[in-house]
Amino acid sequence: MTIDLQSVRKEFVARDGARTPAVEDVSLTLGEGEFVVIVGPSGCGKTTVLNMIAGLERPTAGAILADGRPVTGPGVDRGVMFQDYALFPWRTVAENVAFPLRFGPAGAGLSGAAIGDRVDATLTLVGLAAARDKYPHQLSGGMRQRVALARLLSYEPKVLLMDEPLAALDAQTRTILQDELLRIWGQDGPAASRRTVLFITHAIDEAVFLADRVVVMSSHPGRVREIVPVDLPRPRNDATRADPDFQRIAQHIWSLIKNEAYRAATS
Amino acid sequence: MAAFALIWWAASVLTDNPLLLPSPQAVSAAFAGLALDGELFTQSALSVVRLLAALLIAFAIAAPLGLAMGMSKRFEEFVDPVVELLRPISGIAWIPLGLFIFGVGQSLPIFIMAYTATFPVLIGTVSGVKSVDRKLVRAAETMGLSQSAIVARVVVPSILPALLVSLRLGVASAWTAVIAAELVGAPNGLGYAISWYREMLVTPKMIAFIAMVGVCGYFCDLALRLLAARLTPWAPGAEARR
Repeated sequence: MTIDLQSVRKEFVARDGARTPAVEDVSLTLGEGEFVVIVGPSGCGKTTVLNMIAGLERPTAGAILADGRPVTGPGVDRGVMFQDYALFPWRTVAENVAFPLRFGPAGAGLSGAAIGDRVDATLTLVGLAAARDKYPHQLSGGMRQRVALARLLSYEPKVLLMDEPLAALDAQTRTILQDELLRIWGQDGPAASRRTVLFITHAIDEAVFLADRVVVMSSHPGRVREIVPVDLPRPRNDATRADPDFQRIAQHIWSLIKNEAYRAATS
Repeated sequence: MAAFALIWWAASVLTDNPLLLPSPQAVSAAFAGLALDGELFTQSALSVVRLLAALLIAFAIAAPLGLAMGMSKRFEEFVDPVVELLRPISGIAWIPLGLFIFGVGQSLPIFIMAYTATFPVLIGTVSGVKSVDRKLVRAAETMGLSQSAIVARVVVPSILPALLVSLRLGVASAWTAVIAAELVGAPNGLGYAISWYREMLVTPKMIAFIAMVGVCGYFCDLALRLLAARLTPWAPGAEARR
């Protein structure tokens, strides 16, 4: 699935009527099977962009198209992984993963056994088969994140929208999950089998490691500053992180957002 | 407990009037006697069954109403003034009118208890619905769930812990009201037994029944806490409770 943002603008209207522009004139295309990462300082509207593609928020102006059709609301073709996991606390790991299949349209026509098989396969894929009967509050942050990923993958949305999914994790877990994310996305397989991904982060190294293209945004209001192609070879692995090109691209992106980041940190 | 019994005993010795304040021994003996001939349990069971019936009624009224009020601002603005006007009126205040309508019997105490329990359950449900995690609702929306599926699968389970807490509050206030209702408006039950033995001037038995009010209240609350631990094992503190 391809996603097209055409001169998208989003204003938030406060209760007193004051309008705050959050996103200004964002145009961006996500190609079929492409891994696009948005980086930018806080307040640059990256989450707003993601929510608009998800259909959770409407643009004030401009258009968002999914495979050429305008986005009018949430849909199972565009799955979202939220920043703080958004797991259902009253359901076990396996029940969380089965949730979209059992109660949403994605599982229509699937028998209980078929759903069970899909859940098992997805849990194995993310390495959670042993934790299937635990409740979310019994899991570490990294495991919760895997549950959220498994729940997202279980109903096979065509586009994966991921809002800072790894932000709350420690550095080591983060590195491991970056590797796994690329594996699950299918970086070892043919490009045609990959799903379209939009991934948000504020970590530049993470962006460069994962992305085909990095969208650098600036804030107040959020605009696209530059789109940086990342032509590092796939599959990417630990050697990628040591690649001089990796460092060069990361340096370039840092130079783009450095001033704003300093201003935000010192104000 | 021991200190309480000691003070009670000292006070009974000082007053030296078994009609006003019988000794702990006399009350224990009365308690044991009433337990042996079963009267204690038959009267308690009657009151507890009324409590359960009243809770069922209160729950059937308050839970759907609270769900609707929590989800629709307009509906809440419509209903809330009535609720807030009725809420400060104690259930006991309705006993005289209830006597006209229902007469002496089962209905009056059930009505008074249902009335009393409705408000805590209603308010607990409304605030529970309002504090449902928006993110979970959004997550369900992105999975394509319909609005009714979101209510059934996200909102209702989200509010279940708050609902069970409010049910406990409802039980506590309903239980205080039932005694008052049975004192005047029932042919049997704990409240009736208390007033019967007061008229018979058998103070130890009267106090034994008063003690039974506390015992039943305690076990009702315990049962609800166990129910909560079973129904909501994910809720904070659930593991400590088991």
